[in-house]
Amino acid sequence: MKSSYEGQFVSIDTVQEKLRDIAYIANRKMAMTVYLACRLGKPILVEGPAGVGKTELAKATASCLQLPLIRLQCYEGLDESKALYEWKYGKQLLYTQLLKDKLDDIISRENGFKSAMDKLHQYDDIFFSWPFLEPRPLLKALQEKNGSILLIDEIDKSDDEFEAFLLEILSDFQVSVPEIGTVEAVTKPLVFLTSNNTRELSEALKRRCLHLYIPFPEAVLEREIIRRRVPDISEQLAYQVVNFIQDVRKLDLKKVPSISETIDWARVLMILHAEILNPALVQDTLNIFIKFEDDVAVVTEKVHLLTAKALK
Amino acid sequence: MERIIEDFVVAARTAGVRISISETLDAVRAVKVVGYRDRPLLKDAFAVTLAKTAEEKAILEDCFERFFTFQFFTADSSRAGKDVPAPDLLQTESSLVRMLMEEDRAGLIAAMTEAARLENTSQIRYFTQRSLFALRILGRMGAGGLDGRIQALGRIDTPAAAAEKVRLESAKAYLVDNVRTYVQNRYDLFARNEGERRLESELRLVKLSNLEQRYFARIHNIIQRMVKRLNDLHSRRRKAARRGVLDFKRTLRENISYQGMLFAPSWKKKKIERPQIVVICDISRSVLRTVRFLLLFLYGLNQEIARIRTFVFCTNLFEVSDILGNCPVDQALTRIQGGADIPLIMGRTDYERSFGDFRRNHLAAVTRKTTVLILGDARNNYNDPHPENLKAIYERCKRLIWLNPEVPAFWGAGDSEIRQYIPYCTAIRECNTLEHIERLISALVRR
Repeated sequence: MKSSYEGQFVSIDTVQEKLRDIAYIANRKMAMTVYLACRLGKPILVEGPAGVGKTELAKATASCLQLPLIRLQCYEGLDESKALYEWKYGKQLLYTQLLKDKLDDIISRENGFKSAMDKLHQYDDIFFSWPFLEPRPLLKALQEKNGSILLIDEIDKSDDEFEAFLLEILSDFQVSVPEIGTVEAVTKPLVFLTSNNTRELSEALKRRCLHLYIPFPEAVLEREIIRRRVPDISEQLAYQVVNFIQDVRKLDLKKVPSISETIDWARVLMILHAEILNPALVQDTLNIFIKFEDDVAVVTEKVHLLTAKALK
Repeated sequence: MERIIEDFVVAARTAGVRISISETLDAVRAVKVVGYRDRPLLKDAFAVTLAKTAEEKAILEDCFERFFTFQFFTADSSRAGKDVPAPDLLQTESSLVRMLMEEDRAGLIAAMTEAARLENTSQIRYFTQRSLFALRILGRMGAGGLDGRIQALGRIDTPAAAAEKVRLESAKAYLVDNVRTYVQNRYDLFARNEGERRLESELRLVKLSNLEQRYFARIHNIIQRMVKRLNDLHSRRRKAARRGVLDFKRTLRENISYQGMLFAPSWKKKKIERPQIVVICDISRSVLRTVRFLLLFLYGLNQEIARIRTFVFCTNLFEVSDILGNCPVDQALTRIQGGADIPLIMGRTDYERSFGDFRRNHLAAVTRKTTVLILGDARNNYNDPHPENLKAIYERCKRLIWLNPEVPAFWGAGDSEIRQYIPYCTAIRECNTLEHIERLISALVRR
């Protein structure tokens, strides 16, 4: 079975180009991982610091392939009923109420208790069938006819039990619903898992995935990202902004600014009609990319130095 | 190609990357897809399929560079008369001689790696095997023929033959040299970490009191790893849901919204308690080392233990929880021993007075949930042991574990009063190696 994504992503370079077309700048490693995932049918586990575009990679791939993106945000206490499927209890109750007379008919025609019960048994499967099933993200992803992108976001936030439960889906792309049976994927979805490494994931899960680590980008790549995301920015300003941020990342901070924060800052500077960086401007807009009071103090101390360096 | 990937996986494992068989299969499939023409791409393909953390990726990349190195047989300018066209005195029957003379680098490397493959160089384990492997590889490559040719040339008595002989001899030296480097490189890849690993497993078993100072840094590393493992193991909050009995009250409450129909039962859940620990340590010189490593362990585990309070004693007893909480264990211990601001008398060890101090001033620290760890050799310098002080502590706590750094044969000999204290301990353990400490701690945090 050749899935539609294999047809579209014929080589690593095509992946890179197509992602670039929709303003997602991927390096060769990322493109290769996506390509491999398509070819081998394996999920990708994306790790890296916050805000380097882990979730964005899944979104970009989805819009590249023009497939629906099904997102499952993980959190503590997430369980099967919220991730896989749930019975529509309300609908079931409502229908039993509405069909009460009908049921009465069926039962009253029988004279014995046992035969009434037998009669009822013939109908009970009706209430546990597809119309009463509420598919949640995982089941939905398996049911998509043309394939889909399944994004399991921040898997490290979920419990161990849920992680173990995912294993069946990730390796065989099937789930079992006791009342209905095993549901297999119509077309294998392309799965992205993201993690911020708040806890160590289990070996079993890692083994089933391709592992992609996205670090902070190098200056050249970041400049390109800025130019794509903030098209109106002047060459000069983009250069200075990226230099400044790259230097800030080298400082000892609680939270270093990520790419998304660089983009935000560049946008803010555009709104303020800034032409070049100067210490006062940086000081005023510092809170865009520095989120802790202590960090602000550290950067403030060095604003003049850093700005001078960025302007070079 | 599969064979090479296999060898590479072995090398990576030796370097410390955990790789399973299914991951190896993935790597093979990935390489089939990306091909091996593009070196950086091949490296990335391995990194994506084999290494699953950022640290492992760094190790793997380093390993890749060393494994797929082709820095052998680089042009050697010192070789005598290499640009003189060779007058063919004897018929060249050996391909090795021809490759050496023509400086066919690729050919030489291919011949060498093929010979190495046939000789199973990846099986190398000890540094003493290096010469043997080098010799065997040379044999496979046909160095015997080269020798024969040099000898044959020695018998011909013309200047041209002599020059040719010199040339061949230098070529041979060049060949031997390269094969040696190659074997050394393989040894580094496949075996060097083996020695490290053996040393580490030895260190786990060696008596802490006999440990040499130069191994301390290593021990710290080992402890860090042990602690991390314990943390990983126990930080998983296991929910014992659906395993207990039916929680009837909760079931009633929760099903009110379904008109009192009981169709969503709730179950009683087991609550997992994190242990509270009180550590009482003898810090006289005989025990100090063990104390140091025990504390390193305990304070590494901080998040697993709800509350840890530490008391040290020698002649008298003093609480040091805040000092240990604020700075690393090593610094804290030097401060405790030498600190002028700490009212600790470092005279003769006095168990009677110290336990008495604890009973008088800190008994409230011990509750029914507390585990008390006492570390000491119970050598009381022939004073009265007064076990009733320990008894008072024992009666208040959940369990009291005595850790004795001496081997059991010495318990009770000389001025050791341990026999007097045994009745008031839940358990008494020998504790003088890292193994002992690890076993103890994992028993503490379990459940």
